Amino acid sequence: MSGLRTKFYLDKQNRKWLGVCSGIADYTGIDVTVVRLGFVLGSLFAGGTMLLAYWIIAWLAPKKPRELYDSDPDQKKFWQSVRASPRRAGRDVRARFRDIDRRLADVETYVTSSNNRLAREIEQLR
Amino acid sequence: MHDEYMIPIVIVAILFIGLPWLVFHYVTKWKSQATITTEDENLLDELHDLARRLDERMSTIERIVQADNPNWRAIAADPVETALEDRSERLYESGRTSNRPARRT
Repeated sequence: MSGLRTKFYLDKQNRKWLGVCSGIADYTGIDVTVVRLGFVLGSLFAGGTMLLAYWIIAWLAPKKPRELYDSDPDQKKFWQSVRASPRRAGRDVRARFRDIDRRLADVETYVTSSNNRLAREIEQLR
Repeated sequence: MHDEYMIPIVIVAILFIGLPWLVFHYVTKWKSQATITTEDENLLDELHDLARRLDERMSTIERIVQADNPNWRAIAADPVETALEDRSERLYESGRTSNRPARRT
């Protein structure tokens, strides 16, 4: 069973007609205007095929659940990267943890060394 | 004579067998590799959130340390056994480049 946040949904909140283009934009992270322009040009040149595809998508895809409309753009971007490639998103998270580990090691080195220096200073005062 | 019967048969075969085969082949291929389970998704969500919070905490701590001693990165970058013990002496003696000049004067 696929997860809740990696599925394709119709984005009814930002829709123009049936929410397919805004859904695609929300799913992939491509700008909505570009997707809409692609659909309009496609239906001008390819005629009925594009409109049929649009209508089939609108018929098949479920509406986006209300709880998934998160206002956090960082969260939205992260899930778009997960949809594009879960493996790469996992590697990104690991890289962030490694970065935190490295920074923590720096602080740790500094704190322990300054403790050392303080001890020497006290020793000299005796 | 022979060709007139063959061409429609070939076209019908391509349309009704070849094309669906191709489509379903790629559909199954795409479905088998691109999905992650709900547990994977929850795990990833939690890890992402945890990384974000740790990142914020780390930034706070770095700010505190920075306020305490603006030169701390240079000290942290030095290897413990060579630099910290000896160079700290030199830093104190040279005065202005010291880590804590205010306290030494």
